[in-house]
Amino acid sequence: MTTTTSAPTVHGSGEEKPGLSQGQIVRKRFIGNTAAVTSLVVFVLILALAYTAGGFFGIPGWWKYSHNEVNDLLNGGRPTLQLFPFSLGEHPFGQDRLGRDTFAQTMRGVQISVTVMFIIGIVGGTIGVVVGALAGYFRGWVDNALMRMTDVVIVIPLIILAAVLGQVASRSVAANLQPLVLGLMVGLIAWTGLARLVRAEFLSLREREFVDAARIAGASSSRIIFRHILPNAVGVIIVFVTLSMSSAILLETSLSYIGMGVKAPDVSLGLLISQNQEAFSTRPWLFWWPGMFIVAICLCINFIGDGLRDAFDPRQKKFNAKKARDTTAGPRKSAGPQAKEQ
Amino acid sequence: MRFGRYSKAIGVAAVAALALSACASAGGGAESTGEANATGGTISVAEVNAFSSFNSDTAAGNVDINGKIAYMTRGGFYHIDNELNVVRNEEFGTYEKISDDPLVVKYTVNEGVTWSDGEPVDAGDLMLNWVAESGYANDATSNEEGEVTSGTNYFDYAGDTSGLGLTEIPEVGDDGRSITLTYSKPYADWEIAFGGLTDGGIGMPAHVVAEKAGLADEQALIDLIQGLERGDAESPAEPNAELKAVADFWNTGFDSKQLPSDTSLYLSSGPFVVDSVTPDQSITLVRNESYNWGPTPNVDEITVRFIGAAPDQVQALENGEVDIIAPQPSADTVELLEAIDGVKVEIDDQLSYDHIDLNYSGVFEDANVREAFMKAVPRQAIVDRIVKPIKEDAKPLNSQFFVPAQDAYTTSAENNGSSAYGEADIEGAKELLGGETPEVRIMYNKDNPNRADAFSLIQESAEQAGFKVVDGGLGASDWGAALGKGGYDATIFGWINSGVGVSGVPQIFRTGSGSNYNGFSDPEADALMDELMVTIDPAEQDKLITQIDKIVWDSFYGLPLFQAVGLDAYNSDRIEGIVYQPNQTGVFWNFWDWKVKGE
Amino acid sequence: MVTYIVRRLFTAVLILLGASFLVYQLTALSGDPLADLRESNQPNKEQLIQQRIELLDLNVPAPVRYFHWLGGVAQCLVPFVGQCDLGYAINGQPVTEALGRAMGMTILLVTGAAVLAIILGVCLGIVTALRQYSTLDYGVTFMAFLFFSLPVFWVAVLLKEYAAIGFNNFLREPHIPIATIAVIAFVSGVLWFICSRGTVQRRLLAAAVGFVLAGAILWVLSVTRWFSTPGLGLAVILIAGVAIAFGTTALAAGLKNRRALYSALATVAIGLVLYFPIQPLLAQATTLMIALLAVATVLVGIAVGYFMGGYDRRQNINAATITAVLVAGMVLLDRYMQAWPAYFGNSRINGRPIATIGSETPNLRGDYWVQGLDTFTHLLLPTTALLLISLASYSRYARSSMLEIMNMDYIRTARAKGLGERTVVMRHAFRNALIPIATIVAFDIGGLIGGAVITERVFAFAGMGQLFIEALLRVDPNPVMGVFLVTGIMALVFNLIADLVYSALDPRVRVKA
Repeated sequence: MTTTTSAPTVHGSGEEKPGLSQGQIVRKRFIGNTAAVTSLVVFVLILALAYTAGGFFGIPGWWKYSHNEVNDLLNGGRPTLQLFPFSLGEHPFGQDRLGRDTFAQTMRGVQISVTVMFIIGIVGGTIGVVVGALAGYFRGWVDNALMRMTDVVIVIPLIILAAVLGQVASRSVAANLQPLVLGLMVGLIAWTGLARLVRAEFLSLREREFVDAARIAGASSSRIIFRHILPNAVGVIIVFVTLSMSSAILLETSLSYIGMGVKAPDVSLGLLISQNQEAFSTRPWLFWWPGMFIVAICLCINFIGDGLRDAFDPRQKKFNAKKARDTTAGPRKSAGPQAKEQ
Repeated sequence: MRFGRYSKAIGVAAVAALALSACASAGGGAESTGEANATGGTISVAEVNAFSSFNSDTAAGNVDINGKIAYMTRGGFYHIDNELNVVRNEEFGTYEKISDDPLVVKYTVNEGVTWSDGEPVDAGDLMLNWVAESGYANDATSNEEGEVTSGTNYFDYAGDTSGLGLTEIPEVGDDGRSITLTYSKPYADWEIAFGGLTDGGIGMPAHVVAEKAGLADEQALIDLIQGLERGDAESPAEPNAELKAVADFWNTGFDSKQLPSDTSLYLSSGPFVVDSVTPDQSITLVRNESYNWGPTPNVDEITVRFIGAAPDQVQALENGEVDIIAPQPSADTVELLEAIDGVKVEIDDQLSYDHIDLNYSGVFEDANVREAFMKAVPRQAIVDRIVKPIKEDAKPLNSQFFVPAQDAYTTSAENNGSSAYGEADIEGAKELLGGETPEVRIMYNKDNPNRADAFSLIQESAEQAGFKVVDGGLGASDWGAALGKGGYDATIFGWINSGVGVSGVPQIFRTGSGSNYNGFSDPEADALMDELMVTIDPAEQDKLITQIDKIVWDSFYGLPLFQAVGLDAYNSDRIEGIVYQPNQTGVFWNFWDWKVKGE
Repeated sequence: MVTYIVRRLFTAVLILLGASFLVYQLTALSGDPLADLRESNQPNKEQLIQQRIELLDLNVPAPVRYFHWLGGVAQCLVPFVGQCDLGYAINGQPVTEALGRAMGMTILLVTGAAVLAIILGVCLGIVTALRQYSTLDYGVTFMAFLFFSLPVFWVAVLLKEYAAIGFNNFLREPHIPIATIAVIAFVSGVLWFICSRGTVQRRLLAAAVGFVLAGAILWVLSVTRWFSTPGLGLAVILIAGVAIAFGTTALAAGLKNRRALYSALATVAIGLVLYFPIQPLLAQATTLMIALLAVATVLVGIAVGYFMGGYDRRQNINAATITAVLVAGMVLLDRYMQAWPAYFGNSRINGRPIATIGSETPNLRGDYWVQGLDTFTHLLLPTTALLLISLASYSRYARSSMLEIMNMDYIRTARAKGLGERTVVMRHAFRNALIPIATIVAFDIGGLIGGAVITERVFAFAGMGQLFIEALLRVDPNPVMGVFLVTGIMALVFNLIADLVYSALDPRVRVKA
């Protein structure tokens, strides 16, 4: 979205405390953002809960049931979670009709969905950065070729391409690798936006004095790209990747919902909702819990991304119409609005 | 100047008013249209697939919904009721067996039976139906890729031509309303061979097809058919251009997702006629005013709406947008439907069943191993796990040929030795194996949760007995292609049993037959099947099948697991008369009995 | 400029070729189109398989088949022949036909949602930007992220359960219990508190007003059984009309501009005077007539503004035209409401108007208004679902764009030279903030067509998304390719439009010829 010249973050808070590096400034700003920090904490808690409860990489989790284990139906499968006094009970989120534990299923679903999301983010992020950086730095025919390639991918609506690739993925690999391959496949096509963004950023950064200086000092192209330009573009990249991850998790759930993503017997959050849609009025907990987790994860990521954006990009600084009016209209205030910021 | 301005404004306003009233709708209040003589009310039914053709007999048009629409808009000699009996409609026409050997059957349409354009339904229509469904003139040979290498296939008929293919060119009766079929050898299923509503009735109007194909009239079509030579793939004849034109129109001319402007393309000879179609959304049928040859429907109008997913169907039923639904059953759907006030749910068997077949090669070449494996299959547990949640009184299926709804089922099940394979007999299996640990690869559709569940239950139990079970499950799009190709020792999948007729038996169990994937071969069974196919008496047929059933079980063929369960649900506060039916016609089978309460 | 467009179009064709080859191969790879037949135990299975192989040319390898398909597509480019051949679907349907129909449905579904999302999203974004870090801003930000995080199918199930089935049950006996009224009134109070500004006392007062107002309205609606026989009536149109007149004038010209205010009020008066005379005409409405009336409304607004005179007629015209359109909209709404009982009582509706599936009630016969209501009740849920999801991103874009603008030097300059806040915001900031939004909208529309896939599926809407999913599940490349062609062309065309719009709106950007 912001593809004009990027101002490295030196104004404002940097001047008052001279010892701070850019990373420290960003961290400080991010920590000052309550919503983002809360979201980060919640997100980490959700991940911790999901991964420790269900276990991962063959390490058993602390939760007594596994996601596809069939147990006797207790209490009609209703959730036993109690808040006052707090107790988990036998099946905190209830059971489905076959007696599978909804908590275990939901946790497994979170694991799979989040894994797919991270893979999409990492694969898509890497490709996007590399393509964008090469195109933006070398320009000319490299740029042309890479950008036309990007266009080829970009004209295909993501969901359409992802659905086709999801089908191909589910055909060609063993069931337990399927979520990984799904993530990989979708990652292979979900990089176009980032590539364009990084390219624009590189086009403008490569004309800056510090790049000229490095070039004159004899730095190689790869050194200029990775050591000089990339660190200056890292803010945009992080923000974009974070926000695209929330789309990625929604894409995964949508695909699973139409039966082209993760498939039974494995579970993902989208698949759980899709399977339990019919139970909406008879066993509502089967529908609500996975849904709540999708929303919670997505919401957290969005707030984290928003917080990162504010931290990296000071241009959307606090603006106060009333104050601005007072300061410009009233002669009593001597300082301009810029100084009023802190 | 001011004055002029106002008068100009008024002039403009007047012209505008005139223009506006000119484009007003002509009719005014159109609300009363079509409602005046309505007495029976309207019923709306949800279906999964969208309507796509008025000819449900072609390969492309052979979608369940097209068949159901044809069922309601065609006349026919018989239909199949919910207990799988053949019920003749003598008010439409009659058919009688004139002699047993050679088998000769005469079909006569009653006088006064007409298409909705007033043309009579007569011998020409019967002849057209026959020529399409018998494949009489076809003489094509195809190579393995499916390309026709020589000769011509005329009609793209989706059904089986082996029955009517035995008949010679029919004689047309003097009254012009009857034809007589002569079979070259006795044919077991002669009673359901021709003109049944379940298969689209007397399908397409001959006078329309003749006209569209460029023939002079219906008589020209009859003459054309009577002049045909039986097609011989060995020495293909020159394509018959006139017949080709007729066939081409029959194949594609009636395909339409919307209502054609040419009304002759959707003529009706049944109780209803198509009134409007919204592509991919709905089709509406209204009474055929001239119809009086058969059961008269109570309702004036039936709307079929196309809704793909089961949950959406349920919500549409709950919201009153449809009155009847028949979704794929699942325990959740059943529970959900039962929780809705004023909805009656009917759950019963369907005519398809899941089974596990053992290959007569590889590790299962040894009958002992087959028997041991069959003993290790926990059929009762599979039924408890998969079917019981939907249907309380479900039991394992105990015959390879009959379903419990058929009279012969009990005798055959008692006699074929199936009683030995209810609960898993691990000890018995171990004994038979004698310490051996054969490795068994089981192929199934892993995207079908029922099959995957059945596999894991069988795997668990068989491993206790000493088998090493390898998961050979394939995805939904691949497992079908792998059938019969080898590479596995056992396979779990489903067959559809039409419930009437016996042609399905040799198709699966005869040596070398197309759907005999596991290589079962038994000379005695083959002989019995040959006899079966020329046996006309139903009681004799049952006896033969019972014998074959025993042979199949005795040779440790594999096991039928359970019968699939079907479901329909309707708004019982509003409508009545809906009765479950297990075959492909589904709930529509007695649409004439449907009734809106209080209308 | 022309060279630039031609060059872009040429690359676009190359891109489409590459992408379509890719999609075709992938679809062909994704499964076995004969799967359903292989499982069948019909005696003539072999024959059926052969028929399908012949129909879909399955014996030709997929890369070669692609070129056959391409040959058919190329015929579309030959002008005046109209012989488009996009191949056949597995059920023998020509894709061209199916695609045309599906496109119409998708456009019907997407248009309303897109327009509403853009208008509402931009408004919300601007307002929250102007009041950054207020309770309102936090509230809207949170809601935006929440909506953005909702899986559309999940929302759809909820909407069907509550907005359709629940609301229809309510309509059977449209009486609102006191407890419900209290809750809704309380929520309204909270909203008023959030939206108002000033001292705590002032905001509490606003909250009280909101509470009483909402409670009173609901109570009146419930007692008068308004939901059974809805309508606005002259009084409501009058009150709302005057409020609209003041509101639009305040935004478009400022309340100090008396002539603008009078123009707006005059159009309200005209609307009220015409209310009764126009009813008989409306009773026989057709789409054409409504369109003509809409044109007439705009003309009336312009005329009133023009004849009011003054030093700046454009401001009069703006205020009067917007007011005229809104008042006419209310009259139209009122007429729809008058048709409600007829629609509600129709035997095919059976008193359950809000639909969960499809785009129309089959075989519903009624006049223009009843048909209109039918479309409305069917589009209500899918449009809401789509709206909720796209609203979020537009409001975020608009907010950040507006924030950036408000910190620009020229805004400070405008303030410094003494311009009023309205002029600064509406004239200087708002217009410039729209530039990036305009390009984003153009990008989005290309994607939106493909983006309605899930929504169409849940609401059984026979659009392109449905066509696509069903074809893909059956491994049927031709319909998949058809859908892809449309979405691909859309994406490319709107990308081009986005670039051109950007260069037209922003003088700093020039397309390189």
